[in-house]
Amino acid sequence: MYKGASHKIWSVLMVSPFVILFLLFWALPLALGVWVSLHNWNISSGNLGFVSLDNYKSILTPGTLYYDLFMKGLKNTLYFVVISVPPLVLISLGLALIIDNLPRKLKPIYRTIFFISYSISVTAVSAIFLWLFNGNGGYFNNVLESIGVIREPINWLGEQPYAWLTILITTIWWTIGFNMMLFINALDEVDAALYEAADLDGAGAFSKFISVTWPQIRNVAFFIIIMTVIASFNLYGQTKLITGGGPEQSTNSLIMNIQTSVFGMNQLGIGSAMAIIMGLIMMVIIVLQYWLSYRNKE
Amino acid sequence: MRLTKFLAISLSVVLLLAGCSSSSSDSEKTADGKIKISFINGFTGGDGAYMKKITDAFNESQDKYVVTELQEKDHYTKFKSGNYDLVVVHGNNLETYNQDGLIQDISPVIKKAGIKESDFHQAGLDIAKLDGDMFAVPLDIHPLTMFYNKDLTAEAPKTYEDLKALNTKLQSQSKDTYTLGVPSSGLVEFYMLMIAAQNGIELKDGKQLNFAQEKYADALMQFHDMVWKDKVSPPKLGLDGEFQTFMKEAKEGKAYKTAVAITGPWFYGAAKEKYGDKLGVAPIPQIGSELAAYGNAHTIALSSKVEDEKVKEGIAEYLKFMFTPENLLNWADGGQAPVHLATLEKVEAEQEKYQIAFQNAKQFENYVSPPQVYQFGEQMRYMNESVFSKLVTTENFTKKELMKELKKATKLAEQVAATAPQNE
Repeated sequence: MYKGASHKIWSVLMVSPFVILFLLFWALPLALGVWVSLHNWNISSGNLGFVSLDNYKSILTPGTLYYDLFMKGLKNTLYFVVISVPPLVLISLGLALIIDNLPRKLKPIYRTIFFISYSISVTAVSAIFLWLFNGNGGYFNNVLESIGVIREPINWLGEQPYAWLTILITTIWWTIGFNMMLFINALDEVDAALYEAADLDGAGAFSKFISVTWPQIRNVAFFIIIMTVIASFNLYGQTKLITGGGPEQSTNSLIMNIQTSVFGMNQLGIGSAMAIIMGLIMMVIIVLQYWLSYRNKE
Repeated sequence: MRLTKFLAISLSVVLLLAGCSSSSSDSEKTADGKIKISFINGFTGGDGAYMKKITDAFNESQDKYVVTELQEKDHYTKFKSGNYDLVVVHGNNLETYNQDGLIQDISPVIKKAGIKESDFHQAGLDIAKLDGDMFAVPLDIHPLTMFYNKDLTAEAPKTYEDLKALNTKLQSQSKDTYTLGVPSSGLVEFYMLMIAAQNGIELKDGKQLNFAQEKYADALMQFHDMVWKDKVSPPKLGLDGEFQTFMKEAKEGKAYKTAVAITGPWFYGAAKEKYGDKLGVAPIPQIGSELAAYGNAHTIALSSKVEDEKVKEGIAEYLKFMFTPENLLNWADGGQAPVHLATLEKVEAEQEKYQIAFQNAKQFENYVSPPQVYQFGEQMRYMNESVFSKLVTTENFTKKELMKELKKATKLAEQVAATAPQNE
């Protein structure tokens, strides 16, 4: 039987779509991005020549237009990462634990209810929350005033910290289902015998979570944290559509400012350099997280 | 073996690229021999259908040319990266498009079309002419417009004193009803340029905008006073607050309502639907020291890529067709105020039918066009996104603090102006 050659051809054919797509839509754009970031590239007038690391220098030199744009965007984005990752992870874990302890028949119902918001587009989600948080006669203000929590309407979208709170609540409502599903799957994988053994040892609910559940779902939890950090770093739709970057540019995310550099100011080279630096910052944070989780394991 | 592998990979790449590429090589002619002209604009709102009507009528009348009109939300980006012959450019973007080399002098084409400069209102020419040359055909001007609710005020307020007097009357009836709303974002660029125009302030300083002027700070402080001192507007209104409050119903301490909206004419459809005959439309009142109107404009510009004389002839035919009163009247029907004088005469003859166009055309006499600077929008960005919001939402905001912000905005504008191609 002559099998070897055809086997190899098939292997190459089977893997080639991935390799080609990987090269075309990942490696090539990345390399192109780096190349563009080393040029004075104007969206309207095209490539105006090689400038070496000048774009990076402009972005990192205090007092320049691009420094302000990048740093303000980075500061706002990091702020959002800090305030959003803990609730996005902890609330989803809480929901997963509640659902895990529900009667078998109710589980799929609640799982679907909490997950369904994730399937809605950011445009629709933003439209709903824009209406709910409207400062003049909005739903939340009406409810809070009716029950006597506030006397004056809150300017949710035009004042801090309310604008961030609105973005945070919207993001949690929108994306919590995804993390929750991952936690539910991880909880399903925990061996029931471990809980039985813990019961025999007289462990309470909290000690069972700390000693049995957490070690079993730890790896998934780290994965979820990393994914959530990346997702929060990519903040764009909610701030673009709900607050429009306001009040006073305080919710302008890094991606929004990169978009401004490219499509507003026409500076594709600067925008690409910003995107590369953003990628590097994300990589450093993720490596740090891996290192921390690895060190804790040790 | 290696050859087979190589062939397999090459075939896959070819197939993939074939899938990605355009299916035919673009010809300038259609199957029936008509010369194709592509026209891109951003008319994705209600006005889009009226422009389509003009284009469709042209195409039906023609056996030599066909215009393919594309209405795209992000038409500027598409224009920069694609191949289009005609493009709608806003008045405040024309200088940028010229400096970026994206458009060309359109005079030879309009000459072919038999269109003369004298066919247009001076306000339109002020926008379309750059350094004495016509870089676009002015289509319309959409200035800041005033809507008023006839149930709350029978007459349109004409001065700031009128606005204050109306407010006193409305407040005595209900604490939730005000004269107008000052938004913190949205149309704020129009507001800031309008107040400059109404105080005779020139913001253009060489190649950039200079906001750091004492008299401009004084003029802008009026918006702060409207909210916090004279209280003719409810405080802390957000995006499009001027229109939203106009459309709202007052609700004991929970929602504000206003009698007047100084807003964009594109909201006319929604306002008319709500108020019907109770909706009044009028030129904006005089808030500053002199009467002046401000707003943006649509112009039709010729891509710098168009070199083919036959295409230019087709474009001339299209423009000739469009700038005929009978055809351009469709644009007025869509709520826009054309700057084409012959069309304006028809609008004036049927004031009731073309209510919004007629009222806006009245403002042409006092119209002040956007300063022609490179990247106008970017030079305004800090003012639009930060300064105005601070000005109208911070109760104790002082002129000194405002001047500090204006200096910062000017510095940023200077840096944006420095990115102009000839400076690089």
